[in-house]
Amino acid sequence: MPEPRDVRAFVRAAVEAAGLPVSEEEYEEIVVNYPALRADADRLYIEAARYETPAQIFSPVSPTDRN
Amino acid sequence: MHYYSIAAAAADLRAKKITSVELTEMALGRIRQLDDTLGAFIVVNTDLALAMARRADEDFAAGIDHGPLQGIPLSLKDNIATEDAPTTANSRVLGSNSEGYDGYDAAVTERLRAAGAVLVGKNVLMEFATGKSDPESFPDPLNPWGLSYSPGGSSSGTGIAIATGMVLGGLGTDTGGSIRHPSAKNGITGLKPTYGRVPNWGSVPVSYSQDSIGPMSRSAFDCGLILNSIAGSDPRENATADAPVDDYTDGIDAGVKGLRVGVPTEYFYDHPELELEVKNAALGVVEVLRNLGAEVVEINLPMAELSHIIYWITTAGDKAAYHSPDLAGKWQQYGQVTRRKIALGTLYSAADYIQAQRVRSLFCRDAAKVMERVDILVTPVTFSNSMLKAEEGSPLGANGTSAFNVLGYPALVLPSGFASNGMPLSSQIVGAPFAEATVLRAGHAVQQATDWHIKIPPIVQEVSDRSVGGRGTATAEERV
Repeated sequence: MPEPRDVRAFVRAAVEAAGLPVSEEEYEEIVVNYPALRADADRLYIEAARYETPAQIFSPVSPTDRN
Repeated sequence: MHYYSIAAAAADLRAKKITSVELTEMALGRIRQLDDTLGAFIVVNTDLALAMARRADEDFAAGIDHGPLQGIPLSLKDNIATEDAPTTANSRVLGSNSEGYDGYDAAVTERLRAAGAVLVGKNVLMEFATGKSDPESFPDPLNPWGLSYSPGGSSSGTGIAIATGMVLGGLGTDTGGSIRHPSAKNGITGLKPTYGRVPNWGSVPVSYSQDSIGPMSRSAFDCGLILNSIAGSDPRENATADAPVDDYTDGIDAGVKGLRVGVPTEYFYDHPELELEVKNAALGVVEVLRNLGAEVVEINLPMAELSHIIYWITTAGDKAAYHSPDLAGKWQQYGQVTRRKIALGTLYSAADYIQAQRVRSLFCRDAAKVMERVDILVTPVTFSNSMLKAEEGSPLGANGTSAFNVLGYPALVLPSGFASNGMPLSSQIVGAPFAEATVLRAGHAVQQATDWHIKIPPIVQEVSDRSVGGRGTATAEERV
């Protein structure tokens, strides 16, 4: 996922959507850190995983029924 | 006496050389001496602990023996529920309303009580095993080997309590290294079991597919004794495994002749942040194992360099979901470091979380192929030995531990020497899923050949002298 063109707007929208009353200092800290976090996340979009299934598997059998 | 191993104490209890009440009074006395300064405990259950000790002694006298943990003073990280004390996760958020965790025992607490253990109290941790409480609300834990250095986390208090002889062992929780880092920083032994080996039911979650409760103590053998009591499936929890539970101390003395030891040089031994002393400590353990007859082979763990990103995104999403009801409405009750870390989870998409799980599948498959060629891996724990208190709370970057939470493998940390700054050095022994017996056997062999694990912080006597007249640790009757 490419970094948003407007990081400041994206971070503002994300924290407001979560209802988080961040201070301006906290908001600025997240804005500064976001590009590095996004770059790390983007490293996971590798060709080898293109058709891979997730590690967590759903079971339709409820936990109590399994016993 | 403060530095009894659980095994030695168990033998002396049965030989009537000591009583559980004496052991427990010793533990409580050491807590009174040191905890003012070192900040290991949130709650100390003085009266209840002595009652448990008396019951243990009465059972011994009546010929009732619940096993090696009977009468042994232990403590629990305060994100594990106990019916006799509130569970705060070191946070004002739960400190003001811990109804989800009040009035009952977690599965592991139930099992320790059934084993006759004396549960002395609840230990300090990093807030929600994630961040840092604001200091006015909870004790600030200090490293007994050097007060300006971090005691590691998130199971900080458990590590400190064992290193200083306040208790003989305890439980921590580990999502990315939270048993192993404080074990390393405090010079003790800690085991993150295989994911699903020990039930998490009744503990405050961090990451649903990476959390593991595990033993911390002064030796691999003692970790095995504790694991014997807490391992096994629980029908109340989705994630526990039906895999058979071994006796983790049976055969622990068998040695390591012929054991195949893998050294994953890429990432774990060549990372630019890896300090030379830390690297040499791990290589030193490899040499000990080689000299004991193990076969050493250099291997590569593919995609290890992506593992801390998988760990971080998985954890970020899980925490954002768990804390969602509280984070918005109780923002100011979280510590500043904690809430900022949890807030970062809102920046990732659902696709990012799923992508992390897809790469995780690849990582697991490749790692399983590696583990067909070796029995254990030996790696550093952290890449730096010198984290200061002032640096605590930073997001977990590249490290030697979180890869094995992503994989779910068992991993033991054991003392491996001392750095030039006087701080303990440690190494990590990793096994295949449910191979705790092999991991503990290797750790035990190293500890039979070395003495790093029995060293005691020299500052203990100094702190003991200076702590006269300090503030008391809250008893169970006083909520923080």
